[in-house]
Amino acid sequence: MSGKEVEIKKKKTAHLRAVFFDKIAKYSIYAGGIAVIIAITGILAFIVVEAFPLLTGADGKEAAVIKEKKYGLPVLTGIDEYQEIAYMITDSASVDFIRLESKTLIKKVVFPELKNRKVLTAVSDISKKNIALGLDSGKVALLNIDYDVSFDKKNNRIITPQVSLITSFILDSSLQSITSMEYQVDEDGNPTLAALTKSERLLLYSKYKETSLFGDGEITEYKYDLSNIIKSKITSLAIDSECKKFMAGDDKGFVYYFDISGKDNPRMEKRLDVLNNSKNGITALKFILGDQSLIVGSSDGKISSWMKITDDSSSTGWKWVEAHTFESHSAAITAIAPSTRNKSFITGSSDGEIKLHYLTSEKMLLSVTEYKLPVKYIEFSPKSDGAIILYKDGLVSNYKIDSPHPEVTLFSLFGKVWYEDYKQPEYVWQSTGGTDEFEPKFSLIPLIIGTLKGTFYAMLFAVPLALLGALYLSTFSHPDLRNKIKPIVELLAALPSVVIGFLAGLWLAPLLERILPGVLLMLIVLPVTVILGVSAWRYFPGLRFGLKSGYEVLFMIPLVILGIMISIELSPWFESIIFGGDFRTWLLDSFNTNYDQRNSIVVGFAMGFAVIPIIFTICEDALSSVPQHLSSASLALGASKWQTSIRVVLPTASPGIFSAIMIGLGRAVGETMIVLMATGNTPILSFSPFNGFRTLSANIAVEIPEAPYHGTLYRVLFVSAVLLFLLTFIVNTVAEIVRQRLRKKYMHI
Amino acid sequence: MKQLFKTGEVFIWFTGFGLAVTLLMISGLLVLILLKGSDYYYPSKLASVSTVDGKNYLGQIVREESIPKTNLPDSLKEKGLDRYNLKIANRDLYGLDFKWIEEPEVQSITYHEDAAVIERMEFGNFNGFPNKLMKDGQTILEGDENLESGISPYISEITDYRNELNRLSKSEVGKINYKIEQLRSDIDKIKYENRDDESKAQDKINEINNEIEELNSNYALITHQVDSIKHIASRYSLFVRTAEGDEKEIDLLNIVRVYYPNRMSITQKAGFMISKVYEFLVEDPRESNTEGGVFPAIFGTVMMVILMSFVSVPFGVIAALYLREYAKQGSFVRLVRIAVNNLAGIPSIVFGVFGLGFFIYFVGGTIDQLFYPEILPTPTWGTGGILWASLTLALLTVPVVIVATEEALASIPRGIREASLALGSTKWQTVKKIVLPAAAPGILTGVILAMARGAGEVAPLMITGVVKLAPNLPLDGNFPFFHLDRKFMHLGFHIFDVGFQSPNVEAALPMVYMTTFLLILIVVLLNISAMLLRNRLRKNYKSATF
Repeated sequence: MSGKEVEIKKKKTAHLRAVFFDKIAKYSIYAGGIAVIIAITGILAFIVVEAFPLLTGADGKEAAVIKEKKYGLPVLTGIDEYQEIAYMITDSASVDFIRLESKTLIKKVVFPELKNRKVLTAVSDISKKNIALGLDSGKVALLNIDYDVSFDKKNNRIITPQVSLITSFILDSSLQSITSMEYQVDEDGNPTLAALTKSERLLLYSKYKETSLFGDGEITEYKYDLSNIIKSKITSLAIDSECKKFMAGDDKGFVYYFDISGKDNPRMEKRLDVLNNSKNGITALKFILGDQSLIVGSSDGKISSWMKITDDSSSTGWKWVEAHTFESHSAAITAIAPSTRNKSFITGSSDGEIKLHYLTSEKMLLSVTEYKLPVKYIEFSPKSDGAIILYKDGLVSNYKIDSPHPEVTLFSLFGKVWYEDYKQPEYVWQSTGGTDEFEPKFSLIPLIIGTLKGTFYAMLFAVPLALLGALYLSTFSHPDLRNKIKPIVELLAALPSVVIGFLAGLWLAPLLERILPGVLLMLIVLPVTVILGVSAWRYFPGLRFGLKSGYEVLFMIPLVILGIMISIELSPWFESIIFGGDFRTWLLDSFNTNYDQRNSIVVGFAMGFAVIPIIFTICEDALSSVPQHLSSASLALGASKWQTSIRVVLPTASPGIFSAIMIGLGRAVGETMIVLMATGNTPILSFSPFNGFRTLSANIAVEIPEAPYHGTLYRVLFVSAVLLFLLTFIVNTVAEIVRQRLRKKYMHI
Repeated sequence: MKQLFKTGEVFIWFTGFGLAVTLLMISGLLVLILLKGSDYYYPSKLASVSTVDGKNYLGQIVREESIPKTNLPDSLKEKGLDRYNLKIANRDLYGLDFKWIEEPEVQSITYHEDAAVIERMEFGNFNGFPNKLMKDGQTILEGDENLESGISPYISEITDYRNELNRLSKSEVGKINYKIEQLRSDIDKIKYENRDDESKAQDKINEINNEIEELNSNYALITHQVDSIKHIASRYSLFVRTAEGDEKEIDLLNIVRVYYPNRMSITQKAGFMISKVYEFLVEDPRESNTEGGVFPAIFGTVMMVILMSFVSVPFGVIAALYLREYAKQGSFVRLVRIAVNNLAGIPSIVFGVFGLGFFIYFVGGTIDQLFYPEILPTPTWGTGGILWASLTLALLTVPVVIVATEEALASIPRGIREASLALGSTKWQTVKKIVLPAAAPGILTGVILAMARGAGEVAPLMITGVVKLAPNLPLDGNFPFFHLDRKFMHLGFHIFDVGFQSPNVEAALPMVYMTTFLLILIVVLLNISAMLLRNRLRKNYKSATF
């Protein structure tokens, strides 16, 4: 090979290598670029996906069914917390424990005291451990069922069911069979029992243990026959878990409310017409967790909830109201089961339809019809992740339910919701509370209003200042001054918001509290100073200190300082003249609002300060890029400088100014640290400038560290993140489009 | 006057007024922070205040103000009432650092030469009159003058001891602890892998346990060493008379420095301030972040920003190259460009939420399940850490880099590219050799702006791994040196935490102002350098015409 050939070959390989690398670079840049774009757009997709499960209902599927009646006809069933072992109380007064998976009987208990008795009805209390059996010949038996859970060496769970007979006694002295019952045990262990007998007598029984300082107290039994108070045919009964309210529903659509908090003195307080004279009867009643709401089921399948609320206009001080209605069944409601974990409940009807509802959101989570048999009894599993349903003819079905976010609907996020203990439907955000019975309240409205309120005050402060400043700098000031000032303001846009928030919260807020009247006074004093300044400039040129036209702002600064000092100096005087000596008392007297130290005005100042540089810079750019020949033409025609700027420059640049304001708005909406530090962060719905608020963004920062992964709060916070994302994205896009239009327009002028 | 309104000159002045207020606010903010922060450095005089009812206080007068008239009883409304806020320190004696004294209560205010401030490791400062220095119960220095001139060698000796103690307890003990922790997690892992039958792995476990035993004995050695140093150091103690005349004994080991502000000369004051600044920059925080320095926060901020740049810069540049050089310019690219632009305006907390949901819970949770199942549910990666925080901020700053790079690429004249291609180079060669070098200053500007934004951002960090007090730095001498799963401290969060969640906000305020000043300084310096670079870039291209 000659040298030339070698060279050619070398060149060829070099060429090939170059082409090869060119290809690699091309593909990797394509891949990288597209990946970054996908990643960026993926953010929204991810947030939406995380938030979405909020709006879905519950999942349910039948896990086991027992059709064989070899163990006797069940009257009542229940289940342990792991949903492994169900008990059945049969009509022959035996308690059968059945392993659901294998459908084997693992334990059968027959009490000698109850031999040859027939169980006509049975009911369990809300803890699901205490059970009352209604027997023939007017007898009642009280049982206790419990499950022992232990673990063997290999960490396998062993569940041992226990059942014991507490007592049995004759309730109806006329020895008639008990046909229907309601039973609750309060937290001190005092039982209360209501029963209907075959001849439609309504009996109320309670046992009360007097707790005295000296050990065991005396046990008193109370027994009442309430049939003489109520004349109509009672069909259903309910007692709350504290044993203070007793409700009885009749076949005409009325519910009778008894106050049984005084054990020796049950009083009928009120007859409620819960079905509006529809001639339908009440077929099921139940209190749900928290004892505030009574669920009423009627013979035509309607379901509603009733609440006792305080009412100042009535003589008793309270009234019952219908707070919620739920999706109806097509046949009579025969069973209602409240959850022990939250405010959800299951209803069953005589055509075999089962529905899962949630109280405050009125959300229907699940609706199934597995068997076309009348539902006799439903019970939630202790963890509320399943239910056991007893149909007519003794068919028992175990349902596994997964209902992760029952309390949230689009309506509950954005609408007024009637929570328990509230007099009317309201917008409330309250994510955590002290007790187990606390219901989290997720209304985004107070937060959205808070966001808008903060943005409004910030813009109120920032837009005039930024706009005026930009107008001055672009049209009236000397170019040298302009080149110096603009970078300073630009630099300020990069100021960390935590700095501004810190100063607002710890320095400005206490200061403003002291000199607020002075700040109000500035609204008058400062314009006066400006007019004085311009007069001095104009008529006493000697006072100009050698400043040329276009440098007025430097003349202005000491004047503004002077104005501010005068205002603050006069603050106490102003306060005593206008506000009678104390601004805060005056505010409370005249407008009935309190003055919070960290309030909307403080945030307005601080957040305004944070957005001024942005609005200022973009405005200035828009104003100074208005073609020079336009203003020159105007000036040549004899218009003054001011006329030119207001009639020619400002209208031409108005789309740019609009987009500047929009971008500033976008920043204010999403600002987190300033509002976190400069407001009290109370999620209240108030429009007063002297109160604090909580914004969507600050709410996320405050609450998300405490929100369990994939819990309801976590997802609701993702919803607010989606809102923030969309809001700012739309605002920014509009601004960007307007700006691009403007750019095109300038090209044509 | 009419003329003024007619020609609109008044209105011009109103626009000038807008600018004046804006400028005033900017300068006011900076001056305020600087003034308030320098309080922390400046050794103000100690005033001895004796009151009418015979009480004595010693402290710096922090503020003098008149009580708002509305808060006064009617009898005093006419005259008004002034009050002093005295920083009396001595938290262990009085409970509070500050004391308000009303003007009529004051009988006399004097400035004693021998009043001293004693900075302590615990319980904040102590104001008093040093009396004598004792060693093993024997007086070695007595009297004001002897003490002032003679105490410094002892203090520096004690400082050496303290540094040695710190080194032992931090790096030596820390190393052993880290190793033990690693070995324990090894045991957990082995146990988990052999969870069916633990007996199989018993030998291995015993082996590791022996190793742990060995380390523990090393540990005992070091604690012994620590104890003996402490014993030597605790022989010294300083006796100080309080304003009331009680004598108080302070362990010299607990003393950082003693100074007499009432007789300091200007040069001494300057020296004092410099030593305070030094302490602020290099020391660890003390007393739940209200004293000492902010070194871990500076370190955390810098490391987070660097990590963030490692991710956001390459990806940002590649995306910009794609958009500007490779992709076909059309409506799709324009749409993407608008989207990228707008992404810079999305609230940072939204990125934080994304980081929490995606990086921490999804990615981190998956890593934990795959590689660390033995210690679940205790998370390793499934919790906030510096890596996740940096990645979150990288997402936040990628748009900044993209926009700046695109601008830089767009400003390179077409002719340069065409010349390169005409000479036969491939596209990649053109990009690598011609376009990127020319655009480098512009890209750098974007990087600096992104860093400045990252350094000042707090909200997304709060939910992705910043803590008020991190026990360890994310970078130390223990293998593998970088501990990206660790939580870290950050200057911005430090401001929020100390200013708003500290139990003793008033005492901590000067510290917060200083931190604020430092943060502003970092951000502003970064921005100024970006601006200067941009200006130079513009000049370069003005001359390069084709």
